[in-house]
Amino acid sequence: MTWGVADLTVVFDGRKALDAVTLHARPTVVTSVVGGDGAGKTTLLRILAGMPIPHSGTVTVPEKRRIGYVPATGGVFADLTVAENLEFSGSVYGVADPAATAAPLLERTGLAPFTGRLAGDLSGGMRRKLSVISKMLHRPDLLILDEPTTGIDPVSRSDLWRLIAAAATGGAGVVVASAYLDESERASSVLVLNEGRTVVAGTPGEVKASMPGAVVDVESPADPTRAWRRGRLWREWLPDAPPSGVLPDLEDVVIVAALAETGGRP
Amino acid sequence: MKAMILKEFRQLRRDKRTVAMLIAIPIVLLTVFGYAARFDITDIPTAVLGPGASVAEGMLQEPFRVTTVDPAGDAGTAHDLLRDGDAIVAIVTGPTTIVYVDGTELFTAQSALRRAGSLPPGVQVEILFNPELSTANIMIPGLIGFVLLAIGTIITSLGVVRERAEGTIEQLAVMPLRPRDVIVGKIAPYFMFGVLDLVLITVLGLVLFDVPFRGSILLFAMGGLLFLFVALGFGVLISTVSQSQGEAIQLAIMVMIPQILLSGMIFPLQSMPMGVRWIAYLLPLTYFVMIMRGVFLKATPFHALSMPYMALLIMAVVVFGLAVLRFRRDLAPTRRASRRSQGAPA
Amino acid sequence: MSIVTVRNVTRRFGSFTAVDGVDLDIGQGEVVGILGANGAGKTTLMKMILGLLRPTAGSITLFGRSPGRETRRRIGYVPQDLGLWRDLTADENLQFSAGVFGVRPSPAPEGSGGRLVGDLSLGVQRRVAFAAALQHQPDLLILDEPTSGVAPLARARLWEEIRSRAEAGTTVAVTTHYMDEARQADRLVLMAGGRVIGTGSEADIVGSLQAVVVATDHWDAAFTALDEAGLAATMAGTDLRVPGAETAAVEAVLHRAGISAAVTASSATLEEAMVVAGTP
Repeated sequence: MTWGVADLTVVFDGRKALDAVTLHARPTVVTSVVGGDGAGKTTLLRILAGMPIPHSGTVTVPEKRRIGYVPATGGVFADLTVAENLEFSGSVYGVADPAATAAPLLERTGLAPFTGRLAGDLSGGMRRKLSVISKMLHRPDLLILDEPTTGIDPVSRSDLWRLIAAAATGGAGVVVASAYLDESERASSVLVLNEGRTVVAGTPGEVKASMPGAVVDVESPADPTRAWRRGRLWREWLPDAPPSGVLPDLEDVVIVAALAETGGRP
Repeated sequence: MKAMILKEFRQLRRDKRTVAMLIAIPIVLLTVFGYAARFDITDIPTAVLGPGASVAEGMLQEPFRVTTVDPAGDAGTAHDLLRDGDAIVAIVTGPTTIVYVDGTELFTAQSALRRAGSLPPGVQVEILFNPELSTANIMIPGLIGFVLLAIGTIITSLGVVRERAEGTIEQLAVMPLRPRDVIVGKIAPYFMFGVLDLVLITVLGLVLFDVPFRGSILLFAMGGLLFLFVALGFGVLISTVSQSQGEAIQLAIMVMIPQILLSGMIFPLQSMPMGVRWIAYLLPLTYFVMIMRGVFLKATPFHALSMPYMALLIMAVVVFGLAVLRFRRDLAPTRRASRRSQGAPA
Repeated sequence: MSIVTVRNVTRRFGSFTAVDGVDLDIGQGEVVGILGANGAGKTTLMKMILGLLRPTAGSITLFGRSPGRETRRRIGYVPQDLGLWRDLTADENLQFSAGVFGVRPSPAPEGSGGRLVGDLSLGVQRRVAFAAALQHQPDLLILDEPTSGVAPLARARLWEEIRSRAEAGTTVAVTTHYMDEARQADRLVLMAGGRVIGTGSEADIVGSLQAVVVATDHWDAAFTALDEAGLAATMAGTDLRVPGAETAAVEAVLHRAGISAAVTASSATLEEAMVVAGTP
């Protein structure tokens, strides 16, 4: 079963928060939804989580108890211990033995020694890991995570991505929102949004291959409106050049797509 | 549903402040209303003056408690004793025996008057300072204190705690500002609003409720300002121990409730047992009420109010001083490790 | 000329040592990225440079003097949560900090001036915070994850501004978790456990560290097998990467699990180097 949305449009106060967006969440596939503040990521994820938001288009999602939704903030109760948090979400989702189910996941992510600690006393990374684990105990068909790694350090981020991979290998379709493109290189499918519209979509390889022209590293750009900084150097987009120059990363591709749309400055 | 209830109980158990309030508030209210909040008067400090003083002393029974016996005293002495708060009832014996009652001690005065029916014929009763026994006259001076306390404690603590909760206090700390610039700048608007409210509610009380103002403006201003510093100090102190606006409000309520109930603003100190009355003497509003009733209604001179002024001065120095020191710690680094919990410093 | 000089600085909180004997020099016009996991000591070091905390031992000098009110005049700081007053308008925020530094306020980003900061989008708030930090022409700019939550093109434009300041002589210190941001720095400083464990370019930090790349049609089975064998595999599209592992060990695990895969060694990424450094 493939979950997802097709041609989804959401209008808030006369402004299109999402404009004809399509996303497929297939079992065992991790899809990364990337965009800045106001791109529409959270609205898309909330609709996938089955929240009642007026929209047009097709939404196909499993029943609520087969979904795991990890919001950007909150998600755990700060004044409950790690074990109590897991017990609560386990009993809400009808997990027979939450402690035993969670044990290997806690072990894998370094949380095992802290089951008696209050969630509020955990570091940000630990708390986020707990939040994700508590929403995957019931082996959801669709796991939705809203910016799970924002503000989280690389070590915890790596643990979080290993949890995401574990959920996917367990058969879930996973949708992960992120503000950073370097993360999306991990996902098998990428959807980049800007102000509610799809900028690029596909596998990382497809997305990179779809970039028109070429990107080169230069000391000083010929056309500053088509250039952006990369440390001391500049990267410049040459729209009509044959593929050459440096191998673009996803960030370059998305900047190029934004430049192609606006014709220069944002 | 079971999971929800269990979760709620567990969370409540950890919220020590709320649990403390859930348990402490009924106990405090029961104690206050059971012991302190009484309108029946058990103790009336009484002066007996004039040639028949010792005879009169022998005739007086509970709740009258003779504090002064002065055969040489006259009506003028009685007035001064009542004005300075040394007695609530003064009996001047003589050809016509006159009982003077301090009308600013509303419930005590009423209680004394009820017993006046059993006085020998020919004895006159005269109520001083508040002859109509007007409630507004005695409530408004106390209410000024209540308003200052509310502004100083709640509004100030919210304003300062927000700065911390939103992380902007760090921004202030890295700017080229001295701690004193920040503290004075932060407190000045609340101080000015406090002064404005002090004047506003006084003028409204005088105009709308015809409350008399008989005493010295200077004494009034001194009492008001000292009390405002105490209230602002409480506000800043509360903000330095609170992480959120909710916590600050909770603490501010805990600071205010005992003062409202025990300061003598509503329930007379004379009806409280000694143990409770000692708590009242630890509260700044008690002294403010004493000062303001004296200054408004009785034109009490400074020497008779020096004790409450001194008490307010000490409280202002201690509370405000402590508040400034704690606030300063948020702004300037100390060599010792910070005692505030900062989570795992990263 | 060294703008920031950190000499053998240690900072303890009770029995916990947050920063442990750190030496660091940042020269004029340099853009230095300070990287590390949570608890690595980045934020504590930054707070000591800002003068918010004093070192327990060692010394810090800024512009040749100890941190204090005079050095704060020459610093611009954008914290992660931006440090703006949300109940003031963008203009009022700029006027306040201009007033504190005694300079003329800069104009607010287009259209935002009269609006409350709390009502602005995060991206615009960030531009207001930058304008507030830059209007007194600071000699040292301190940025804590300056562009999190910003769309790629807007982020590129912010970095253009930061780099042009650096080229005009402003020194920039950035703490970040993100590789997209780290790449903008001239020099990286990697911290772990309160110490500086690497400094230099991305290549210097990664050094000889390698990651084993597993290309297979059965990534999920491979992930499970490697995970159960205690090898921390991460996803990379449809491939898996195992940073810091031996190729032979990975091959052995996959062979035992009966998974056919192409296993190759590749240079580790900066992020993988940070993970390996930050994992006890």
